[in-house]
Amino acid sequence: MDSIDEISKKILYLIANFNVKQSEIIEIYKKNDFNITRTLNSETFKNKSAPLQLGNDKILDFDNMIAYLGKNNINVLNISGKFYPKLLKEIFYPPPVLFYKGNQILKSDYLLAIVGTRKCSAYGKDVARYISRQLSKIGITIVSGMASGIDYWAQKAALEEKGSSIGILGCGIDIIYPPENKDLYIQLMNNGSLLTEFFPGTPPLKSNFPARNRIISGMSMGVVVIEAGIKSGALITGEFALNQNREVFAIPGSIFNSESQGCHKLIKNGAKLVENIDDILEEISQYYKNDISCDFQNESPADNFKQNKKIDILVKTLNEKQRIVFDCLGCLPKSIEKIVFETKFKVKDLLQIISELEIKELIKEKKYNAFIRL
Amino acid sequence: MFFELNSFSLIGIEAIAISVEAHISNGLPSFTIVGLPDKAINESRQRVKAAIINSGYNFPMKKIIINLSPADIKKEGALYDLPIAIAILSVSGQIKIKDKDKCCFIGELSLDGNLNPVRGIISMAEEASRIGKKYFFMPYSNAEQASLIKNIKIIPCKSLKDIIQLCLSNENLNSQYFSISRTKIENKCDDLDFCDIRGQLRSKRAIEIAASGMHNLMLIGPPGAGKTMLSKRIISILPKLSLNESIEVTKIYSLHKSNNSNLISQRPFRNPHHTITRISLVGGGIIPRPGEISLAHRGILFLDEFSLFPRTLIEDLRQPLENKDIIISRNNISCKFPCSFMLVVATNPCICGYLGDERKKCTCRTGEIRKYWNSISGPIMDRIDMKVYVPRLEDDDFINSGFTESSNIIMKRVEESREIQKERYENSNINYNAEVSTRTIYSWVDKNNELKKLIPELTKKYNLSARAVASLIKISRTIADLEKSRDIKLSYFMEALQYRINTGLENIINN
Repeated sequence: MDSIDEISKKILYLIANFNVKQSEIIEIYKKNDFNITRTLNSETFKNKSAPLQLGNDKILDFDNMIAYLGKNNINVLNISGKFYPKLLKEIFYPPPVLFYKGNQILKSDYLLAIVGTRKCSAYGKDVARYISRQLSKIGITIVSGMASGIDYWAQKAALEEKGSSIGILGCGIDIIYPPENKDLYIQLMNNGSLLTEFFPGTPPLKSNFPARNRIISGMSMGVVVIEAGIKSGALITGEFALNQNREVFAIPGSIFNSESQGCHKLIKNGAKLVENIDDILEEISQYYKNDISCDFQNESPADNFKQNKKIDILVKTLNEKQRIVFDCLGCLPKSIEKIVFETKFKVKDLLQIISELEIKELIKEKKYNAFIRL
Repeated sequence: MFFELNSFSLIGIEAIAISVEAHISNGLPSFTIVGLPDKAINESRQRVKAAIINSGYNFPMKKIIINLSPADIKKEGALYDLPIAIAILSVSGQIKIKDKDKCCFIGELSLDGNLNPVRGIISMAEEASRIGKKYFFMPYSNAEQASLIKNIKIIPCKSLKDIIQLCLSNENLNSQYFSISRTKIENKCDDLDFCDIRGQLRSKRAIEIAASGMHNLMLIGPPGAGKTMLSKRIISILPKLSLNESIEVTKIYSLHKSNNSNLISQRPFRNPHHTITRISLVGGGIIPRPGEISLAHRGILFLDEFSLFPRTLIEDLRQPLENKDIIISRNNISCKFPCSFMLVVATNPCICGYLGDERKKCTCRTGEIRKYWNSISGPIMDRIDMKVYVPRLEDDDFINSGFTESSNIIMKRVEESREIQKERYENSNINYNAEVSTRTIYSWVDKNNELKKLIPELTKKYNLSARAVASLIKISRTIADLEKSRDIKLSYFMEALQYRINTGLENIINN
């Protein structure tokens, strides 16, 4: 209970018991020259009375909610508070209160968002992990939406690197969505933080996610978009970032991959093309003013995959048949039928060789029935 | 006056001997049937009366009592028309049956005295032969089926008159019996052949292995990839039905109304729609009848669009898959139907059907895909040894795939591997590799140090369950049999690794 300060309580009280819209609070806050006391005593709120309704029939009761927050270690930040993300205050409609779990949010000054599709390719996954790891090494906190795909891998990599990460939710903080990312939710709760503007118990409604995306981009110095379809949430985040005057970075992908079209569109519209993290650091230097430890060794993406050398050694150990199959494969997926035609092996022999190469981690079944070199 | 005749009643697939007793006495003319008859038997009074009169004999205007003994077993069907008619004619002194203790009678009469076929004839003939009867009088169209049974003389009759004349004449019954030449049993396939299918090399190889070891098989793929086409052709590579198997299958089918005259010479392929009821899938009814799983005995049960089958229905398959038979109990009867079948299921990889497809994008949400796979019963998935993805092929895959083997060539290999299996399991009740217990499975790889080292490694790498490993070894054993190898070589295990899909799916979901 003590963790919630009076101003936050007052705001929650207004919202919960008087059904004041969050945007209304912000409007009046702006009119009152960003003075929170004057805002909360404003006349406008006096004649409202309907209690706030969440979801279908869940009516929010103020006292219950405060007790619930205390019991579940949910903390609250208000817009006038010291730890409220600085950059988020600048956006058009910042949320007046934020709920959070974990404590990294109080320590993080330099936030960068990584967003992307839920259905990422192997390439997208590698890029997300690479960028996230590199940024974490120099002390940048990764902000993302805790969704599957790119978000998942970026946040996971940041935590693995002992960096910090903030997951912005599109539902109440007590709801794990998507449920399959429970492991990430728990890791973020312990080693990072979870943040949302939605009241506890809010279900993950479709309409919540664009609002969440504005927070992702709003609190970050910039947004890195890794693989986004032409109509995707990640692209919306990118567009929010442009409107909010944040840096937008996009990773180029294959022109055959529809999940890269959004990134390419962003690049065409002026987003910065990212090949390594220097491309990112150049643009955000205005924010961090040498605060960030720059003595790290920048690895190029190619160096990062030192496995390449390992692969060369492995390839030398292959027997003749394995070598033929390995040479037959490339970076584009090739079906078993094509491999049989090109190598003239029998199917049963080919399947053995494929297994052997898979175990050696030289090739991989990219799509079903189609293989690529790793 | 009293007269007694031998006949049979059916309990499930088994026949039991009953006797039809007739008593005739003076009194008000009446005709009563006792001994738990059902409606059809009670109605046989009218048929018998008309048939006797229309055959040119007298229906005695006396008090007639027919008893079906043992009297505490419920009897059903119109199959007692013939024994009742013969009993009445005998008891009223109009005919005399020679060697009546060695004869059995079964048949349904029409009003003009002609005989109509009955169900379950092969079980009855088998029982008759077992209890040492010599002659079996039955409707003509049932004779072909019944003649499969040895040590009993089948005497086919077209009408009541035929039988009466046969009994009255002094001809030897031995010269009348019906026999069928063994060559009639053939494995005919409706022109479905594997050479129709271009490409799909991995799926075809998987089917060959599955058919050899009777492994259950799951085909996963987008719409239009050819899952159904492949499944329908599995029959064409299965070994021919042996005589004993043919009898087993015919026994089940002869209980089924759709078939009461022909001999089943082709392995059954049952393809029930997913709206099927529980009873018609596993069998049941007041008087239990075999369901689809028993009709698929010695053949294939193919469940297309597997994910659409209600979960409870699929769970019902667990025990039959394990036991190879099902016991159906109703309040006064319990019957056992055999159901040793190969389960082949086909399903889409997700709701939209295009997960993992090369050209068309899957539009499902991750949660939906997870939910979709969760809806498929885990224990059943565990019992399916082989899971293969059937992709939609590109145009040049079809052109390039070149020579395709015909079913006959594949069938030869399957037959050879079955021979090897038969030898191996000679003194046990196991028939195929798929039925082997876990302990035996591990003993196969006990001496192979290479494999013993590799398996734990792979278990960790691909996150395999113990049952998955057992399946892999079983498949490797079948591959070894196909290659006529005594030992399971490492390379066979490597190939077996290609027929599992779990990890692939997880990759797609997590990516």
